[in-house]
Amino acid sequence: MRWACILLTQLALDGVSRSRDDQAQPLVLVAGPAQRRIIRAVNPAARQLGLKPGQTLIAAQALTSGFAVAEYDQQQIDHWQHFLAAWAYRFSSHVSLDYPRALLLEIESSLGLFGPWPRFEERLRTELTELGFQHRIVLAPNPAAARMLANVHDGLAVDDVALRREVERLPISRCGLPADIVSALARMGLRRVKQLLVLPRDTLGRRFPKDVLWHLDTLLGHQPLALGNFQPADEFAARIEFNFEVNNHQALLFPLRRLIADLHAFLAGRDCGVQQFMLALEHRSLAATAVPVGLLTPERDTQLLFDVARGRLEQLQLPAPVLALRLSAPNLPDFVPQSQTLFVERPQQSQPWEQLRERLRARLGDQAVYGLAAVADHRPEHSWCTDVTGGRAEQHDGRPRPGWLLTEPQPLNDLVPEIIAGPERIESGWWDAGDLRRDYYLVRTRDGRRAWVWRAVDGSGPFMLQGWFA
Amino acid sequence: MSAAYAELHCLSNFSFQRGASNADELFARARQHGYQALAITDECTLAGIVRAWQAAKEHQLPLIVGSEMQVENGPKLVLLVENLQGYQRLCQLITLARRRAEKGCYRLLREDIDVDMSGLLALWLPTEKEDVSTGVWLKERFPATLWLAIELHRGPDDDQRLARLQALAASLDVPAVAAGDVHMHARGRRALQDTITSIRHHCRVDEAGHRLFANGERHLRSREGLVDTYPAALLAETLRIAERCQFDFDDLKYHYPRELVPAGHTPASWLRQLTEEGIAWRWPAGISAKLRGQIETELALICDLEYESYFLTVHDIVSFARSQHILCQGRGSAANSAVCFALGITEIDPAHSNLLFERFLSRERNEPPDIDVDFEHERREEVIQYVFRRYGRRRAALTAVVSSYHAAGAVRDVGKALGLPAEQVDTLARCCGRWSDHIPTPERLREAGFDPDSPIVHRVLTLSGQLIGFPRHLSQHPGGFVISEQPLDTLVPVENAAMDGRTIIQWDKDDLDAVGLLKVDILALGMLTALRRCFDLVRHYRGRELTLATIPADDKLTYDMISRADTIGVFQIESRAQMSMLPRLRPREFYDLVIEVAIVRPGPIQGDMVHPYLQRRNDKALVTYPSPALEKVLKRTLGVPLFQEQVMEIAIVAAGYSAGEADELRRSMAAWKRRGGLEPHREKLTRGMLERGYDIEFAERIFEQIKGFGEYGFPESHSASFALLTYASSWLKCHEPAAFACALINSWPMGFYSPDQLLQDARRHGIETFPVDVRYSAWDCSLEPGRDGELGIRLGLRMVRGFHVEDAGRIEQARQQQPFTDVTDLSRRAGLQARARDLLADAGALRGLAGNRHRARWAVAGIEPQLPLFAGQPAIREAAVTLPLPSEAEEMQADYALVGTTMGRHPMAILRPKLRQLRCRDSNELRSLEHGRPVTVAGLVTGRQRPGTASGVTFVTLEDEHGMVNVVVWRALAERQRKELVHSSMLQVYGRLETKEGVRHLIASRLVDLTDMLNGLATRSRDFH
Repeated sequence: MRWACILLTQLALDGVSRSRDDQAQPLVLVAGPAQRRIIRAVNPAARQLGLKPGQTLIAAQALTSGFAVAEYDQQQIDHWQHFLAAWAYRFSSHVSLDYPRALLLEIESSLGLFGPWPRFEERLRTELTELGFQHRIVLAPNPAAARMLANVHDGLAVDDVALRREVERLPISRCGLPADIVSALARMGLRRVKQLLVLPRDTLGRRFPKDVLWHLDTLLGHQPLALGNFQPADEFAARIEFNFEVNNHQALLFPLRRLIADLHAFLAGRDCGVQQFMLALEHRSLAATAVPVGLLTPERDTQLLFDVARGRLEQLQLPAPVLALRLSAPNLPDFVPQSQTLFVERPQQSQPWEQLRERLRARLGDQAVYGLAAVADHRPEHSWCTDVTGGRAEQHDGRPRPGWLLTEPQPLNDLVPEIIAGPERIESGWWDAGDLRRDYYLVRTRDGRRAWVWRAVDGSGPFMLQGWFA
Repeated sequence: MSAAYAELHCLSNFSFQRGASNADELFARARQHGYQALAITDECTLAGIVRAWQAAKEHQLPLIVGSEMQVENGPKLVLLVENLQGYQRLCQLITLARRRAEKGCYRLLREDIDVDMSGLLALWLPTEKEDVSTGVWLKERFPATLWLAIELHRGPDDDQRLARLQALAASLDVPAVAAGDVHMHARGRRALQDTITSIRHHCRVDEAGHRLFANGERHLRSREGLVDTYPAALLAETLRIAERCQFDFDDLKYHYPRELVPAGHTPASWLRQLTEEGIAWRWPAGISAKLRGQIETELALICDLEYESYFLTVHDIVSFARSQHILCQGRGSAANSAVCFALGITEIDPAHSNLLFERFLSRERNEPPDIDVDFEHERREEVIQYVFRRYGRRRAALTAVVSSYHAAGAVRDVGKALGLPAEQVDTLARCCGRWSDHIPTPERLREAGFDPDSPIVHRVLTLSGQLIGFPRHLSQHPGGFVISEQPLDTLVPVENAAMDGRTIIQWDKDDLDAVGLLKVDILALGMLTALRRCFDLVRHYRGRELTLATIPADDKLTYDMISRADTIGVFQIESRAQMSMLPRLRPREFYDLVIEVAIVRPGPIQGDMVHPYLQRRNDKALVTYPSPALEKVLKRTLGVPLFQEQVMEIAIVAAGYSAGEADELRRSMAAWKRRGGLEPHREKLTRGMLERGYDIEFAERIFEQIKGFGEYGFPESHSASFALLTYASSWLKCHEPAAFACALINSWPMGFYSPDQLLQDARRHGIETFPVDVRYSAWDCSLEPGRDGELGIRLGLRMVRGFHVEDAGRIEQARQQQPFTDVTDLSRRAGLQARARDLLADAGALRGLAGNRHRARWAVAGIEPQLPLFAGQPAIREAAVTLPLPSEAEEMQADYALVGTTMGRHPMAILRPKLRQLRCRDSNELRSLEHGRPVTVAGLVTGRQRPGTASGVTFVTLEDEHGMVNVVVWRALAERQRKELVHSSMLQVYGRLETKEGVRHLIASRLVDLTDMLNGLATRSRDFH
């Protein structure tokens, strides 16, 4: 058996930066609670600025301000590891994710197809670089050795003969033992695996948990190591978030191409195609715009998929700036190359009310259909809002307020209405530059309607109509 | 048209996060509007009432004392104090409500009002839904003292509300009265009021909704406006109430505890007797006529001012401490008198100092005596608990400290309330600096990436500016006790402190001063712990009994050492700034130390008094006095004012202040940072001095110094007490250096230097040091005879980081029975767990049992838990293994990581060959280099300081194998090389040497970070303060 370890040296960073145009911009990934954000990873440009993993974000900002910040997201890291495993699946039927941030490939049986090893290795490197992932590759007779040697080597290929020599040279701190064991051994002056291997086994066994000897045996191949077998997912989903608002189609094409390329890599790894997939454009407050893309037959070709998706996108009127783009392909049929014909949009299946509402929206415009909700604010203009979810209702606090409030106050036609109550003074809203100072009155107009009106606090100017009581 | 009016319902900013104006603003505005009186009715608190009383006096408008309280499941009331009885009742009521709730809250129950309420007038504040039954219930409790308060603020329908409430009052036969529910002095505070409301509710302003007031009517309204709002009868009723409220703080009578005086004695006769006993104790051979005369003068003065009980109180506390062998030392205006020496309150022998008691306690100044007593840091709690035990919780409580908003806190709270993102709030707060009371300058803001003109930043800053100085909450004074004969809750409300088992009164020390309550400060001082430990060590190893009072005075060797600035570890004069002053000042006698302690302070430095004083010391010809009158005041400091007391005397002598005004000045000095109020003095002082023929320059300098004192007011009376500890610690360092260093390390953390630095200093003085070793070490560091028979220092197990005192105790016990044979024997007999064993091995403490660290660690890892069945069986014999020897660097690294110091070579000594290649000199070589030479040095960064008094300069202390190098980094370089300056643990500095009067500085011109050279060596550094 021969195992290749692909160590993804900066997986988190690569995952984030591949969706960014400007690779030269300093970028750091941070994690931790809001009060204590810690830098977990930095790209070369950020390192140039003196930023280091382990620094607090505050310390970093004290040093310099010219860098971008993104979240260090474990879920994203897992996502990319799985994505790459799906890619690697085409090169080996046994791909393992057992080691974090690394892929282990059994390649003995694939050598006939992709070999010899140097050529195979070159291909892996080329494709990884194209996909935008930094890596180190080591080949060894067993997966544990491949993984641990990748800690200190890149491009190393060892056979059974050289294995013991290379393992002996490993620093104990990099050989995969738990940190407390490493530090205990260091405190005894033991720093290289070789020093460990010359000690009588029983003395080691007495002093350390049995995993230690077991691990050493695995490294040397004396103990087999059973690794999990990656099964590619049945569906593909990926998402690119922008760090700015995208307003036009043109700017969506770069991320779209990236997503399609990823889809292609996934399909190739799994040796299947796609017949229908969904693009979703995420907005700040609006629900995401869904763009279904359908094909007559399953396809895999990057350019073809891109052209079809692009065609669908360009038909679309962007309702709001786009913050993120999502691609999901739940059904992945087998790929049989066929003639490539475009298919028209699938008929939508939706609920009657939603259908009606969407029809109304389509006819009258999105802004024309909404619900109402109360807002706790003393200022009448700010005391209500449109409500698109239809679920919110704020409790009124007992002040006499009209049911119909005008969007904008208008001069009251009636010059001398009968004052029923007031003045009620409202002074509020200095914080958003909408400060107002008004004296409000409850009045009855000549035609007998009850109105809520106001006038400036110095009593000047006409009565302004704020709303009508039912 | 306007009518006479008194405001009866008004909150100051002591209703935290509700009131948006301070008492001064409220009284000024009320006076301007022509109100007849103003009630301050903060919610269930009297914390702000003394300030209100002072403002009332200032603006000559009567104050009505009161409090707004919400009864649980009952009505909301304003209680107003009619007379002394009512005041006491209110204090008790607030105490009751506060003590049963958590700190910062209160719970007033319906039954609390069932007791006699005479002396209090009640205003009922009915809610919209309140019914007649509540009114009836209240009327039963306040039969002739209940009013229904009508508060109209231009709500939806004021006419209807007025009519309803008047009808309610009539139906109950209760008079109605107008009130304002005032939350601010003027409408302009509306934004601030909204903001603090949001802060109180922990929400943003734009989310606060109806929790905000609908308008800004809750301010002190003009009388014209009130006439439009309220019927005349309601306004007139306010005056009837105001006239009834005649309580004045001068009615409060405070009495000292009486139990200190035995039957048959008066306080005076008892103080006389204790003093005579003290004289016999202090001067067994008889007292000199001069001192006898001084004591008589002092006693006469004390009796004259009726302060006997105060001295007796302090004496009682100090006697307790002495009986428990707790070291203590008094300081403060009255502490350093011959009487206090006889009473044991101070250890300064009046025969050896030229301090004059009258300087500290004067007939004319009429200021209360002030004695602070420092106790051993670790044992102060025993003293505090004694005071509580002796006087009971009802009669003794701690003083409060009013925590006020500094700029950073204000910006933080306001920024959050206005919806600034958390990161921006942080950045903005950092712009303010830690203790600043000013919002940052526009330049500073732009540097931090803010646009000072943007509306949101502008709003945040404006509101923060208004909020700065506002009280935020009450916290506990570190040790200021108020003790009284009568229960304290008849003088001032008492509430819970954050700490369990502590209660605090609602006033801070300025309030106490103003009302004439006396407090005793029971403070903690680490140096006293160290001194007591040192005395114990000297007694144990030398058989010599030393006390603060019996340390030989005027020791030449000690002063020589001080003048060399060889003062690491010594009290007060060990800081870098102090050490650079010593060779210039060259103290030769006790009073020089008093000056030395006081001179390196912001006061004298900002007032530019330091250099003139030093020049005059070196050249007596320069000593001149601004006038013959001031010669008396300034003679002891060669014509340069250095002490707070002198500044006050100058104000009296040169600017014509009365004693009372001078005292006022003292208070303003202490508080101006917080409350301002120093500007009037600038004008008054300058005018007074010009009138008396002093020049404007002198006046300006005096005023600058007053401002400086504000921050760290340092009076001669405190300086003298500190100087005693300085002398005592210097003497010990000079004559018992091993015991002194040992005691300091055992008392750590304290002082300026780490144990490592103290040990290095000890070694430089030829003291042997011995490593931690389970065969010899106790928990504490101890003394042990070395090769030459002199005492050396054996490191204790306390030095091993993370080691537990209990494990150390068992090791000592087991060792006493019989020495350990090997690590297994040690582990079994001392019952050590794996963690403790590993720590001992890594610390090198097993060297005698198992060899070097690597072998020790291997050995302890092989210890197997002993099973009962196999007890007594020899351990399994296993093959010997060969382990690498630890290298010198590894040993050193482990030493620093585990013990914090090394007995081996200093890291710089190890690196020296490399450093030579970089042409770095060591600190020893610098001593022989002349002024102005360009040099390069390298060292561990052990300190970085940016003192507020030195504009933008950073002082870096580098340490190498021979000592310290002081590096000065000017602002321009600091900004250019911020990364190197802030992040280096080891630094190479190119610069120019400055040598002046025995003081050496390196003025840096380039910094190089050599941290990599250190290879992760653990050094600790004090960062910017």
